[in-house]
Amino acid sequence: MVAKHIPIVKKKTKKFNRHQSDRFKCLSSSWRKPKGIDNAVRRRFRGRMAMPSIGYGSNRKTRHMAPNGLKAFLVSNTKDVELLLMHKDTYAAEIAHNVSSRKRVDIIARAKQLGVKVTNAKAKVTTEI
Amino acid sequence: MASQASADLVWEIVRNNNSFLVKRKASGGVQFSRDSLNLTNKNARKWAGFVNDQAIGVVAAEKDAVKVLSKKTSESNKPAKAITETVYSGGKSARKTYVAVANQAAKSNYRADLREAAVARASAIRHSYKTPKPSPELKLRGSKAKKASE
Repeated sequence: MVAKHIPIVKKKTKKFNRHQSDRFKCLSSSWRKPKGIDNAVRRRFRGRMAMPSIGYGSNRKTRHMAPNGLKAFLVSNTKDVELLLMHKDTYAAEIAHNVSSRKRVDIIARAKQLGVKVTNAKAKVTTEI
Repeated sequence: MASQASADLVWEIVRNNNSFLVKRKASGGVQFSRDSLNLTNKNARKWAGFVNDQAIGVVAAEKDAVKVLSKKTSESNKPAKAITETVYSGGKSARKTYVAVANQAAKSNYRADLREAAVARASAIRHSYKTPKPSPELKLRGSKAKKASE
């Protein structure tokens, strides 16, 4: 059932910042492709910042994966957890932020019965001693 | 559905929007199906039991039993009557249950392609009836561990 291990490789972990966003405080760092005719970044000159491209994408087999090898699936109730019955090796349940602690207990208990991992099982349920 | 509209046509109409469909934007836009006649809960033509004329569903039942649903082709125009239910009690041995489920899926030219998934689902459901192992107690670390040892 468990396939050969494929390491999760992130080719670039830093963000792509917009050209010259470091020089002007009004310029947001969200990426915009430089369009100028003389732009050195656009022309990919040596030493200039890199531009995003499809080559930076993750391996499709490890895309969206958390370090534990599972993808997150947002659940709001126990019925949502039951959807993952046949996918517990690929998906982990993630309880939505607006679920009360009383219902979280039910969700976590059901997930445990089904063998589904819950990524945020401790949230709102554990009490400080 | 056989006589009214072909399953292929129905599927093309409902594949992007139906009452069983569960969509999430995370994880690359996953799609699952709540359909009880869907063995893997995936939203795909092969598993869409409510579309296909012949389909098998395995669901949990009372007293640790496994319930197998299947569709009758003769009642394809009466969806409420089309589904037959067979219950394999929790007392029946696992192997016998699986053989029965496999036979129901694959014998007499029903849906041999669903056999493995049907057995796998029956197995997963039976497994979920077991009382789960208690999670090990967390070891305290750092200052909390120091406090506890005092």
